[in-house]
Amino acid sequence: MSVLDNPLLESSLEAFLECLRPRLKVLFIRYRIPPIDTEDIVQQALLALLYRWRSVRDPEAWLVGTVRNKCLLYWRDQRRKLYDAVDTTVLEWVAVPLSPAQEAADVRRDLMSVIERLPPKCRSLLSLRYGLGFEPPEVAKRLGYRTSSISKVTTRCLAALTRQLFAAGIRKKKGWE
Amino acid sequence: MSGDRGDHPSREVLERFLLAQLPASEGSRVLRHLLAGCPGCQETAGEMWQHAPGAQRQPAVLDAELELRYDEVLDRVFKRVEIAERSIARERATARELLATLEKHPIERQRMLLRNSQRFRSPALCEQLIEASHHAGFADPGRARELAEIALELVSSLDSEDALGLSAIQNLESRAWAQLANARRVSGDLAGAEEAFERADRSLCRDGAGLFEEARLCDLKASLRKEQRRFPEALCLHDRVIAIYQSLGQRHLLGRAYTQKAMVINEIGDYDSAIALLRSALELLDPKEEPRVFLVARHNLIWSLCESERYREAFALLFHTRPYYLQGGDRMNLLRMRWLEGNVSAGLGRAEQAEVAYREVGQAFGELGLDYDGALVALDLAILYARQGRAPEVRRIAREILDVFNARGIHREAIAAIALLYQAAEREQARVTLVRRVSSFLKRARSDHEIRFQLEDDAS
Repeated sequence: MSVLDNPLLESSLEAFLECLRPRLKVLFIRYRIPPIDTEDIVQQALLALLYRWRSVRDPEAWLVGTVRNKCLLYWRDQRRKLYDAVDTTVLEWVAVPLSPAQEAADVRRDLMSVIERLPPKCRSLLSLRYGLGFEPPEVAKRLGYRTSSISKVTTRCLAALTRQLFAAGIRKKKGWE
Repeated sequence: MSGDRGDHPSREVLERFLLAQLPASEGSRVLRHLLAGCPGCQETAGEMWQHAPGAQRQPAVLDAELELRYDEVLDRVFKRVEIAERSIARERATARELLATLEKHPIERQRMLLRNSQRFRSPALCEQLIEASHHAGFADPGRARELAEIALELVSSLDSEDALGLSAIQNLESRAWAQLANARRVSGDLAGAEEAFERADRSLCRDGAGLFEEARLCDLKASLRKEQRRFPEALCLHDRVIAIYQSLGQRHLLGRAYTQKAMVINEIGDYDSAIALLRSALELLDPKEEPRVFLVARHNLIWSLCESERYREAFALLFHTRPYYLQGGDRMNLLRMRWLEGNVSAGLGRAEQAEVAYREVGQAFGELGLDYDGALVALDLAILYARQGRAPEVRRIAREILDVFNARGIHREAIAAIALLYQAAEREQARVTLVRRVSSFLKRARSDHEIRFQLEDDAS
C-alpha cells in the first residue's frame, strides 16, 4: 500500500515528513538525545508507521508518541548501561587484590558505607554479591527470590546503589523544587 | 567516608560517566572518586542525574549548530524512508496477489505452498493473512483459525535480516499469535486461546515501536478475560490499552478502548460508570471513520441508561441514534434497536408499544435460529406481563422457553432456572422480581456455564 493511497494523508510522504521535522527536533532536544543516536530512533519509528499505516488513525500523533516513547527507552537503556558499568567496576575491585592493601580496605569500607544507606533488601543482595562473591542464582536462593526474577531485582538494587553515589546532589535538587 | 580524593573529574567527564561513555579505566577512577564521597562532585552528578531528559518544563531551545546536526540525520533517514515506502507499497501489492493465489487452493495445499515456495515468504503476505483472519472473525471462526495458523507458519520462515528487522518480525509473530488466540476464543477454545496469548506476549518486542501491537494484544486478551468473567484483569488490560492510545495521541482508538472497557463495567453492573465512560468515548469516536463502533457505543449507552432506569434520557438518545441503525442496514442491528425500543417503551409505561416490539424481535430471532436471544426477549415480555398480572401469558412463555432449551440441549443450569420459573408460573407466583432474576441469570449463564441459579426467599 502506498502512503499516497491513504485518504488520511492528503499530501505526499515527503510533505508529511517535512511537517514533522520541527516537532522531531524539539523532541530530541527536549530529551537530550545526541544527534548520532537519533538516526535509529527516527528510522525505526517511521518504518513502523509505514507498516501500520492502515491501522493508525492519526499518523503525526502516532509518530510523535512513538518517538517520545523511544526517547524514554533510550534513556532507560543508557541508565542500565551505567548500572552495568558500576557493577562491573565494583566486581573487579572486590575480585582483584588491590595494591596496596590499604587501598583495598578503603574501597571496601567506602562501598559498605554506601550500601549501608540502601533499603534492607538491596543491602542484603549487594552484600552477598560484593561481600561474599555470590552468583545471582545463589543470591536468589539465599534471599528467596525466583531465579527468573533475580536479574530484575539486581538491576533495581544497582540503580539504588548508583543513585546513592550522588544522593547529596539529588537531595539538594529536590529541596529546591 | 574518606571525603575528597585527589583530582576532581570535570563536568564533562561526569556527564560522560553518567552516560556510560567513559573508557573502563577512567570510569573506574570517577566511580572511586564518587564512592569516596566527594561532596562537590556528588552534588554536580546528582544535579545532572536529576535533570532527567524529557522532564524539562521549559520549551526546548534550538541551538543552530545542533539543529544542523539533527537536520543532517533527518535528511538521511527521510530519504531512506521514502525509498522504503515505495518498496513496501510494491510488497503489499504483490502480497495481495499472493493471497488471492493462495485462496484458490485447499488449506493443505496452501500450507505446502507456504513451506516450499520462496515467493510466498513475505512479511506483507503474513500481514494480509492476519488481517484476513481478523475479518473472517465471527462470521467464520474456523477459517479465522486456519488463516492465523498459516500466518504463524509463514512468520516462522521469515528472515529477520530483511528490511523489516528482528523486532518487526517479532511483533508480526506476536500479532499472529494474538489473532490465533482470538480466533480460538471465538470458537470456544478458551484454554487454547490462553496458551496462544502467552506466546503472543512472549514474542512481543517492547521497543517503543511495538506499543501498537501491545495495545492490540491487551485489547484481544481483555475480551478473553471478559468471557472468563475475570473482570478485574479485563479492566487492567483495558487501562493499559487506554494508556497506550493516550500516549500515541490516537483519539478515535482511545474512544474505541473506552467503549470496550465500558462493556466490562456494564457486566459488573456499575451502570453509572459505564454511562460516564461511554459519553467520553462518544466525544472521541469519529462516526465517519468507524460507524459500527460509534453505533455500538451509542447502543450500549442507551442500554446502560435503561438498566439505570433513566428511560427518558434513553428515549431521547434512541431517537437521535435511529438514523445510524438504519444507515448500517444490518438486520441484527435493527433487531437490537427494536429490542431497545421495547425496553424504553416498557420503562416509560407504554406497555402496548413494548409488547409489539418484543413480539417482533422474538419472532425474528426465532426465524434466525437465535434461540438464546429469543429466550431473553421473551423474558423481557414476561416481565411486562408479570407487571400487568397476566399470569397465564407468563406461564406460556416459560413453557415455550423450556421446550426450546430442552430441544436444543441448552446447558442444565439455564434449563433449571427456566423450569423453576415455569413451576412458579403454574402456581401463579411468578412475580416481576423472579422473572427479572431468571432473565439476568440467563444473561450471565450464556458465557459462564459454571454459575448456579439460586432462588432467594423473596423471589417467589
